[in-house]
Amino acid sequence: MSHDPVTIKKMRKDITPYLIFSIPLIFMMIFLMYPMVLTILRAFMPSGNKLQMGAFSIDGFTKFFTSSMYKKALNNSFIVSLSVTGLCILIGVPMGYFVARVKIPGKNFMLSLGILPIIMPSFVGAFTWVILLGRQGVIRHFLNLLLAPLGITIPTIYGMFGMILCMTLTYYPFVFQLAYGAFASANALLEEAGMLMGASRWYIFRTITFPLILPSLGAGALLVFVRAIGNFGIPAIIGGDKYVLPTLIYFRVNGFWDLNGAASIAIVNVAITAFVLYLQKRIVSRHEYETISATHSEIKQHDGKAIRIIAFVYCTIILVVSLLPQVTIIVMSFFEKWVGLFPEGFTLRHYTRIPAHSHKELFNTFYLSIMATVLAALLGSLVAYITERKKPKGAALLDMSIMMPFILPGTVVSVALLSAFSGNSIIKLTGTYTIIVISYMVRRTPYVYRSVAASLSQLNPSLEEASTIAGANWFYTFRRVSVPLIMPAIISGSILTLTTLLQELSTTILLYSSKTRTVPIQIYGAVADGKLGEASALSVVLLIVVFVIVYAMNRKQGKSIASAFKMG
Amino acid sequence: MSLNLTYSKIHKIFDPHSKNPVHALNDVSFSIEPGELFCLLGPSGCGKTTLLRATAGLETITSGHILYGDTDMTSIPPFRRNIGMVFQSFALYPHMNIFENVAYGLRVRKMEEKEIRRRVTEVMELVGLTEELKRNPSPTGLSGGQQQRVAIARALVYDPDILLLDEPLANLDAKLRRYMRAEIRRIQKATNITTIFVTHDQEEAMAIGDRLAVLRKGVIEQIGTSDELYTNPSNAFVSNFIGKMNFFNATLVGSHSAKIDTTTVVVDVKPQRSRLNAGLARGSEIFVGARPEQLEIVEEESEQTIAATVQIIQHLGQVVRYEVLLDKAISLTTMEIDMPHYLSNVREQDSVFIRFREGMPFLFNREEQN
Repeated sequence: MSHDPVTIKKMRKDITPYLIFSIPLIFMMIFLMYPMVLTILRAFMPSGNKLQMGAFSIDGFTKFFTSSMYKKALNNSFIVSLSVTGLCILIGVPMGYFVARVKIPGKNFMLSLGILPIIMPSFVGAFTWVILLGRQGVIRHFLNLLLAPLGITIPTIYGMFGMILCMTLTYYPFVFQLAYGAFASANALLEEAGMLMGASRWYIFRTITFPLILPSLGAGALLVFVRAIGNFGIPAIIGGDKYVLPTLIYFRVNGFWDLNGAASIAIVNVAITAFVLYLQKRIVSRHEYETISATHSEIKQHDGKAIRIIAFVYCTIILVVSLLPQVTIIVMSFFEKWVGLFPEGFTLRHYTRIPAHSHKELFNTFYLSIMATVLAALLGSLVAYITERKKPKGAALLDMSIMMPFILPGTVVSVALLSAFSGNSIIKLTGTYTIIVISYMVRRTPYVYRSVAASLSQLNPSLEEASTIAGANWFYTFRRVSVPLIMPAIISGSILTLTTLLQELSTTILLYSSKTRTVPIQIYGAVADGKLGEASALSVVLLIVVFVIVYAMNRKQGKSIASAFKMG
Repeated sequence: MSLNLTYSKIHKIFDPHSKNPVHALNDVSFSIEPGELFCLLGPSGCGKTTLLRATAGLETITSGHILYGDTDMTSIPPFRRNIGMVFQSFALYPHMNIFENVAYGLRVRKMEEKEIRRRVTEVMELVGLTEELKRNPSPTGLSGGQQQRVAIARALVYDPDILLLDEPLANLDAKLRRYMRAEIRRIQKATNITTIFVTHDQEEAMAIGDRLAVLRKGVIEQIGTSDELYTNPSNAFVSNFIGKMNFFNATLVGSHSAKIDTTTVVVDVKPQRSRLNAGLARGSEIFVGARPEQLEIVEEESEQTIAATVQIIQHLGQVVRYEVLLDKAISLTTMEIDMPHYLSNVREQDSVFIRFREGMPFLFNREEQN
């Protein structure tokens, strides 16, 4: 046998995967990259909605130095998101430590309750605080009665204080859950070793325990910051005259149809988020450690009486306060009004009118969310499969671009899509179902993507190779081996996507038309009109749907919701 | 029935266009006989797994040809090659029960349900899992050894032309490993399928393989039976990889005699035990190699002894191993010497003398031995 030594031609490849993989790539190009590029271009154009190539202007940015409204909005955004992040850490870390390390009753119950604030739509939280602490708020009313002899009155919820309070109580669970996880899973041997070497408890906490949970803490703080700076609903409802960047964007688009101006603000908003992300990565990467020890021992819990009482009381107070909104909307939904100490005029009217007044919104909400979830699941799983398994040259870029919407505030995504697909653009999508589905997909695909990518990275490639060896082609292997094995990850990513989309407000608010109104938009409108009973009843319906879905997933997959929500 | 397997001038270069291309396989050519159980042995990173994966088609090769029988398989994708493979991790499907795991390759081949049932039952009998098949649990509920058997059954059930085993015993504990290697040999001989077994454990390779190939840095160093490799190693690397070899710095003084550096000891070896390059000049620096049992410890000094200090004494049962340190000019590492009996008046840290047993040592080129 003689064979020429020239390089043999490449092995014949199965081209199916490449055909299938091109679909998500094309989607990302058209609906993410192209709109983002247009947004950047528009940011440097004179204000208005015209896409004028060649007309260069940095007016959109100089306004941050000249206009007092812009200056204040930027300032407020900074103050709110930084304070919220700081407060969440102050509240969440001790709570995580107490639940993980102190012997107190009802830990699992506390962990489950502790996730509820982030499952509820944040703007619902905001308007319940209006009921409690608004101009005629229940608690405010009560406190004012109490404090009247001293001549003090409690300020209303509207403004900076309200936004910070409301966001903190909504977002502290991220820090709490992540800190709990880190404290609970830390290896006790490391701390015991410190103790044997003569270190005091506080010294051990400072030099061993705390540095080891820092990466989790960083991740939690980042999640809070990104959400706080991008949140639209809370400032829109209780910001009063205090604008922040997302509400400023809404104001530019909704008030003036000034897409170019909105694009400038959006770029600033994203730049801040990106900078904080970068800082967080730098700080955390210096403090990331691999666990070395092979054995692992259970953490000994504090069982001193004093610390147990302190821990229990602390956790209970935080939970009660952060769950007040849930209780409040349920009560409110059954009454006409609630201005004094007690609600007045029991009624079922708010519920009975839902079929007649909200059937279109309910249909739209489910239709849009389910469509977007199914498509995002397909897209996210495919991209995860490409980046994890095929490892193409641009895998890092693909990973970055699909994760980008994760840090993009909802209003920014809307502005980008409007930039690309409104007015005289080639594809005109304004006012359609399609543009909302696309915006949902762009924003939520990272959920499925992350979930599936994590699952794939833990899946030994030899499982798929074994199938190839046994004679199965790529598609057969994909269908019979890969998909069944990553199914749990696809499902949990999709459930998370669906539950967050059912309550989506910040993207929809700029994209909806009378035809495509959703339940959150209707709730927002009802709050704006002061119809709190109607808003409460609709919120309760949303809340029940979301809760049932999440509960069902928990039962089926036996996985804590917390682990699904703390992605990022 | 069984096929032979031929490798012809295989080259595999990872990242050929980067600054540091890795030459994982370098001009590999050899043949495996029909029905042979062939071991690929070498330290990690030597290219043995790359060669196995290239045989399966899971890895492309840069140049060369791989033939199953007379058929060139080089450009055939893995799923058309009809091979069986057992992975280090077993790669059993957790979402299927053991019957479905084993039947997988038959379902791919769209066989009739009755035939599938017959074949799975038969192969499970062969690997000794008849009882488990009746319960038909998920593979996650099986012990390591049973999972291993399922993995082998799954690879054998569709009568592959070639069976590939990628460190299949690495995930088992020591006792089970010794048992399973005998089992694998039994099953392989029963089916008579040409088989390649990859391992980094020389004891395992020597115990299981009809023949072994020792690889280093992408190059085949030697191919032969266990006995050939142990008694007749072709170079210093193989000699110290298959069993232990002590190396003494020495100078060539005759066509096959050498003087150990800084001593008066001259070693004469039989001509067939010299591995020196032809025409090596007298005065060249070489190695004298001796296995632990080819050296002995003596208490009196003579012309044929080298001074040594005992470092560690280990009683290993059949032999007593003395680790001794010599003059730094002879070797920087300790020498291992196996004595049939414990020497009652030699303690650790004592000064002793060592001597070559008559005619036993090897001569090797001075080269990197690891």
